[in-house]
Amino acid sequence: MNSASEALVLKGGHVLDAEQGIDGIADVHVADGKIVHVGPRNAAPDATIIDVSGSYVSAGWIDIHVHAYGTLGFANPDTVGVYQGVTSFVDAGGPGIGVLDQFMELLGHLETSLYAGAFIRPMGLLGLNFIEGDVRTLGEVPITRWVDFAREHRDMLRYIKCNAIGDYGPGTLKLTKGLAQILGLPLYMHIGEFQLQNPEFLLAPEAFRIAESGDMITHLYHGNLGKVIDEKGKVLPVVREAERRGVIFDLGFGGYNFSWKVAETAFAQDLVPHTISSDLQQFNVVRPVKSLANVMSAMIRLGLTLPQVIERVTRNPAKAISLTDRAGSLKPGMPADITVFRVNSGEFELFDCYTQSRKAEKQIEPLITFKNGKRFDADMAMGQEESNWFLQIAEDHVPERAGALSAAQRQFLSSLAARLSSTSWEVSNAERLDIGKALELQDIFHRERAAQGLRLKDALQAVYASFLDQPFTMQIGLLLVRLEQPFAIGRLSDVSGQRHLAA
Amino acid sequence: MTERPWCELGGLRTDNTKYPARASIEGVGIVVLKTKSGLRGVQRSCPHMQGTMMNAELVANDTMVRCPLHVFTFRLSDGKGVNCPGFKVTIYEIKEEDGKFFGRVAN
Repeated sequence: MNSASEALVLKGGHVLDAEQGIDGIADVHVADGKIVHVGPRNAAPDATIIDVSGSYVSAGWIDIHVHAYGTLGFANPDTVGVYQGVTSFVDAGGPGIGVLDQFMELLGHLETSLYAGAFIRPMGLLGLNFIEGDVRTLGEVPITRWVDFAREHRDMLRYIKCNAIGDYGPGTLKLTKGLAQILGLPLYMHIGEFQLQNPEFLLAPEAFRIAESGDMITHLYHGNLGKVIDEKGKVLPVVREAERRGVIFDLGFGGYNFSWKVAETAFAQDLVPHTISSDLQQFNVVRPVKSLANVMSAMIRLGLTLPQVIERVTRNPAKAISLTDRAGSLKPGMPADITVFRVNSGEFELFDCYTQSRKAEKQIEPLITFKNGKRFDADMAMGQEESNWFLQIAEDHVPERAGALSAAQRQFLSSLAARLSSTSWEVSNAERLDIGKALELQDIFHRERAAQGLRLKDALQAVYASFLDQPFTMQIGLLLVRLEQPFAIGRLSDVSGQRHLAA
Repeated sequence: MTERPWCELGGLRTDNTKYPARASIEGVGIVVLKTKSGLRGVQRSCPHMQGTMMNAELVANDTMVRCPLHVFTFRLSDGKGVNCPGFKVTIYEIKEEDGKFFGRVAN
């Protein structure tokens, strides 16, 4: 594996770089983790030459909509990052202001550059099991905390997200727009009602009305309530008006959010996403999304050219989330974030989210990713391994990794168990979530952690290792409120005393 | 607690039935799965997005059933959602006696 500092030449590949207007065979020279030159030039004497002839070379792909953290996230988010051609991605709504500290602690070690598309709800996205559109789950929107966090961690935040679903009118959208304006960030809105059957308000058109230039709307080709086309298949005027204003349209393929019929009807009227994103998460990585590359293949099948597709995962998303200083092109001086891929010919079947499929003759396959010059060979199977997405509580055994917890962590778990005994909770069902209780349990966690003087990361790892075999990360309040109280307290006590582990 | 009575299943034959198989119990449609530890019934569709359980996959050594649409996974012991807390499916015990199938709610 190449280290980040090694000099490299990627030789003979077909370079696609919209920013520099390159579309042809060229060598890419890399040194010290940065792009040095694209084009003919003698290689540095110590450079490693990698023959990539027959392949394409582009800037590392940017996926502005994945779920790395939270109830939808992966045990190892890099599996859908650098191991699949993606060098930067944005968690679309996993964290809110109440859990951004947890998000940063836990995901700081990734090889893939991770940014937050923070959610308006302090707890972030709740997951598919609860009604996301219930406005009461928003709770409070603490402006002071948002402003302070943004001042300290401006680089982490790339947009503010809300969902244009639910039955409370467009207030949430306006509220989120207001917060985004305060923070100087783009607004990013999910469209497509997939939870309510007959909502009184259809919020998708409102999203297009509220969005301003630079704001983003995702799930452009969804087939749920609130499509971008009317009953006769015509693109809605409100969508066209938003497009003229400079609103950015994002694909956001997802598990519910891409319909071949809608895509083909809208594409025939030249309604095309500016950015191509996957919406990868636990519940769609096996099918239908699989990878950003699979989504890109679907866009080729829809009718976009290869350069158009690559521009939509490099230059366009870099502009959309203000990342052009470090990603989206192969300009000299840029970090050496590079994706080497090929376009396979054959017969492929590409599914949407509604059991429809299309035969395709082209398939995009990532081969090698470089992140700041460090090499990662593609592994498209790793993301789909069950241990990477099947988040289940280890109910009948103590996770093995709990055995590695320190004495301080075990002491914390013991104290936490005692403190949790002073309140009571019941497991939420699919229709309701006691978000107040989740916040209360999270507060207890933080207070106890502070009292013990334990680092946040160590405290989080202690709780996760008590219940989860795999290193998933999620909002601590949501994790606790999903557990039966006697089980939760018993397990924390057991791990703190290591009783099961000794057996 | 009185034990639930067994009811004869409709639509299931003892000869060369392929599993999973559709059946009914007291007018309610179910899907019968063949697991390593015998037959087990589950409600006809997933409570999440109503995917048909006829396409469901047996996982975790046949102790769980997984809807293929969004990998929502349920325990065959009690129907509890494993990766989807709050969701639940109805599970049926199934037995064969004298060439007939019988079932009853397990959870």
